[in-house]
Amino acid sequence: MQFNSIYVRSLAVVSLFLGLNACNSTSEPEPSQPYDTGVFVLNGGNFFDNNGTISLYNPTTKTISYDVFQKENTRALSGGVAGYTEVDGKGLILVDNSTNGSDAVEIVSARTFKSVATIKDLENPRSVIKASTNKAYVVCWDVLNPDYSYKLGYVAVIDLTTNKITKKIPVQNGAEGIVIVGNEAFIGNTSYSGIKTITVIDISKDEVSGTVASAGAASNLIVDANNKIWCTIGKEIVRINPTSKVVETRLTAGTSTTKSPRNLTLNANKTAIFFEYSFSDSSDGYKQKGDIFSFNISDATISTSTSLIKRAFTGFGFDAKNGIIYGGITPSYKQAGYVIRYQTNGTLIDSVKAEIAPNGFLFK
Amino acid sequence: MSLVVYSVRSRILFSLVGLVLPLFGYAQEIANKQIDEVKVTGFATEHFMAGLKVQKIDSATLARFQFQTLADFLQFQSPIAFKSYGSGQLTSISFRGTSAMHTAVLWNGLNINSPMAGQTDFSTVPVLGFDEMSIQYGSAASCVGTDAVGGSILLSSVPKWKQKGTNFTIGGQYASFDNYNGQAGLRFVKISKSGLQFSGKTLLYGSQFNNHFNATERTDNTGRTYPIEPSETAQKGFIQDLYLKKKNGNTLSLNIWLTDNKLAIQPDVIAFREITQSKAYRVLSAYQFGNTNVKAGFIKDILDYGTGDFLNPSHSETDRYIARAEHEFSIKKKDSFQQTSLRIGGEFVHYVAKVDGYGGGSITESRQDVFALLRQQFTQKLTASLNLRQAFSTRYVAPFTPSFGLEYAVISNEKTQIKLTGNIAKSYRLPTLNERYWKVLGNINIQPESGLNKEVGANWKQVVSANLNASLGVNVYHNLIDNWTYWNPDKGYRVENLQQVLSQGFEITGSIKYLKDRILGGVLATYAYTDASQQKVYDVYAVDIIGKQLIYVPLHTLTGTAYVGKGDWSLNVQGLYNSERFITFDHSGRPFPSYFIVNSTVSGKIHFGKIQSNLIFQVNNLTDTVYPSVRKNAMPGRSFSLGLVFSGNVFNH
Repeated sequence: MQFNSIYVRSLAVVSLFLGLNACNSTSEPEPSQPYDTGVFVLNGGNFFDNNGTISLYNPTTKTISYDVFQKENTRALSGGVAGYTEVDGKGLILVDNSTNGSDAVEIVSARTFKSVATIKDLENPRSVIKASTNKAYVVCWDVLNPDYSYKLGYVAVIDLTTNKITKKIPVQNGAEGIVIVGNEAFIGNTSYSGIKTITVIDISKDEVSGTVASAGAASNLIVDANNKIWCTIGKEIVRINPTSKVVETRLTAGTSTTKSPRNLTLNANKTAIFFEYSFSDSSDGYKQKGDIFSFNISDATISTSTSLIKRAFTGFGFDAKNGIIYGGITPSYKQAGYVIRYQTNGTLIDSVKAEIAPNGFLFK
Repeated sequence: MSLVVYSVRSRILFSLVGLVLPLFGYAQEIANKQIDEVKVTGFATEHFMAGLKVQKIDSATLARFQFQTLADFLQFQSPIAFKSYGSGQLTSISFRGTSAMHTAVLWNGLNINSPMAGQTDFSTVPVLGFDEMSIQYGSAASCVGTDAVGGSILLSSVPKWKQKGTNFTIGGQYASFDNYNGQAGLRFVKISKSGLQFSGKTLLYGSQFNNHFNATERTDNTGRTYPIEPSETAQKGFIQDLYLKKKNGNTLSLNIWLTDNKLAIQPDVIAFREITQSKAYRVLSAYQFGNTNVKAGFIKDILDYGTGDFLNPSHSETDRYIARAEHEFSIKKKDSFQQTSLRIGGEFVHYVAKVDGYGGGSITESRQDVFALLRQQFTQKLTASLNLRQAFSTRYVAPFTPSFGLEYAVISNEKTQIKLTGNIAKSYRLPTLNERYWKVLGNINIQPESGLNKEVGANWKQVVSANLNASLGVNVYHNLIDNWTYWNPDKGYRVENLQQVLSQGFEITGSIKYLKDRILGGVLATYAYTDASQQKVYDVYAVDIIGKQLIYVPLHTLTGTAYVGKGDWSLNVQGLYNSERFITFDHSGRPFPSYFIVNSTVSGKIHFGKIQSNLIFQVNNLTDTVYPSVRKNAMPGRSFSLGLVFSGNVFNH
């Protein structure tokens, strides 16, 4: 790359002016940017300290850069990190501040992590997803009622060409978790919401087009290789047909009376699902205890006789490109947590110190 | 289980009695040789704090900063660290590296820390609320009781017997950001023909802080940006003090202090609004006859927290019924410096708590204390104190807390005074009601914390010339606190006696004061080095935090005041430096940067006939320093305030 360094430099300057379209205007090799590859670790932070961060882990050099938003923008995220995704060259960070009225979506350039825009007009953002080209959906709780119950939630539609919210689509109370199948978005709920429906949104119209009766609060939504939706409902893991909008299969995660499934995560070809089966142990100081298991999407039952990893995590992810499992550990919300890496068979690889409360990953 | 507890308790009680009895014997023995029994005039606990550092705040300083809260006031008077959630918001204390629950706040001898949280929100206590104040450094549990682990703040109401007739005060203050203060009061002294003296003080005060900062964020010179959190604080209070003194000195007193503090975050948007309203009703009656003092008190603390319309807030109410009796034997040998004071007493506190967070119903609990405090002045140069205290509860065994202090004057002449001090003291903190009863997370078996504080000091006062005085003092301490409670996140935030904290450090205080005719000038500065860290490994990840400076405790603190004055006018400049503060146990992430703030005050008196007006002009945060609150919001920048207080004599007889 040395020989065309002048070209590289000039492109970098031009790309600043042309923004995201610059990369489409030429077939010449692009300069690599610091955030092109790696594992983003989403650190929730301690709620009242408003100190959520994103770290970037480089699995090749096994080094980690902390608080990359601060590093690139000389200002910190002003709240906890509730989610991150990338849409057409932009990264959307959901920021949850402990004061009502101060939440935000920070939009950064996905390749440089430089701030592009800040959107403030939303409350308690919980999940973000790419809806279509230059369009993102952010699922929000809105502010809680004075008795901490959930108001009607909404999906904020963000136009990434203007970096503005174009619409808020009202959805069910405690809305959280979103997947997209075809032209429809399916919005789940927090398990505490008591809501027994999944809302369906027509992406082309940005309107609610229907619901799925889910028999309980549907959480941890994912989409498998056959375009079927999987989620957890209470102690069950269920499969939903997004076309007929009915629950097709209900699998009991295990026989335990105390444990519940959570953190559903797909393998590389989306044919198997990892999940955590855990509980808060009242006989041992209410520590969260459990195991990671996996099952195949074609399995008729789920076996929890042999665990993959004997541990519960605050965050769980699978690096499909390299076939590595990532688990987040939070010793307390006032000290840095750790990310522990495992092979797909559950063999421990190594661990790295992250930041406060690592609870999510994005692999690129 | 309870059998075991009781047998341990009775053993401790027995040993305490065993320790106290010889003291009586000792006093009796001395008494036999003595001629005079000394009459005790005040019942100040400071008398028995030999070897401890006690800083008295003079009344002129209190008057100058009468419109401030204790949170704003104290941080410039002493190297105490405060943890603030924002302007007019929860502000808790960290004295010598300890937590907010380790400073006893006493009002006329009663601990007014909230029994729920075990601490005081210093943003809700106005400087106007009391007449005298002392800051006591280090553990003084044997004198003060629970919570006096890192230090104590002693606030008292004092009658002004020398005042003639009735005085009124009325005043107000306007400050930047649409913030207001106001007060109106009367103070009187009446002497009947039979020699009965009657004195009292009535004061009403209130404030409204609208905090209209007209900005949404503040950025420091390194580019760090902090959002400004919209908030409003309304405060009102009422004080009634009454004293009736007989010719023989026996005094009956009644002190009432009612406070109401309402904080609204995001006040302008109802859906976003978060309101915390705290009210306290404090009533204390005391009768001192001869060398005996009996007190009966009642304190009601009400806390309401809610969001949105605030129609159905989470409600907490705790009542405290307090009874205390003390008697002091004080004997002085004729023509000698030898003097012995022995005070014995007991306190009974009954709590009734109705707290939503405890799951409904009311919870009652009683705690008792017995204590024996002995002060012996041996010679002009040597004084010692030996104090003993034992607290009791039906639920747990509180540590027995003795303390021993010494003061020795190496040099004591008209020009030079050099004094060496030393103190070793056990301390304790009884569990708060939240720690014991909070639904699911509380732990009914939580044990009291216990500490051992050792300290030595040296103090040098020098008369340099007829107009110039100087002083220099050093105090070094080592305070180890065990069974430190921790709301353990690994266990879903259930509270445990998990940690052990060592706080060690020193304070250096120097002063120079010049006074000639009507000209006054001087400097007073304190530097503190505070090294406080967790010592105990309780899980695999605790290794990351062992030995590291505790969060929000600056290693270096410097506070100073410089003043010049002529006649009724003075200029006062106060400075405060805090080194960087870590916000995580393991020092990961970016600490809060160090900061330096300067306040200045011009105050003076103008006389309009018989009416005197006190003018106070203040510029706070003169350098417009940007520094964050605990929640990473910006603290206020430069602000101006102008206060005027009129006072005069009415109904003069």
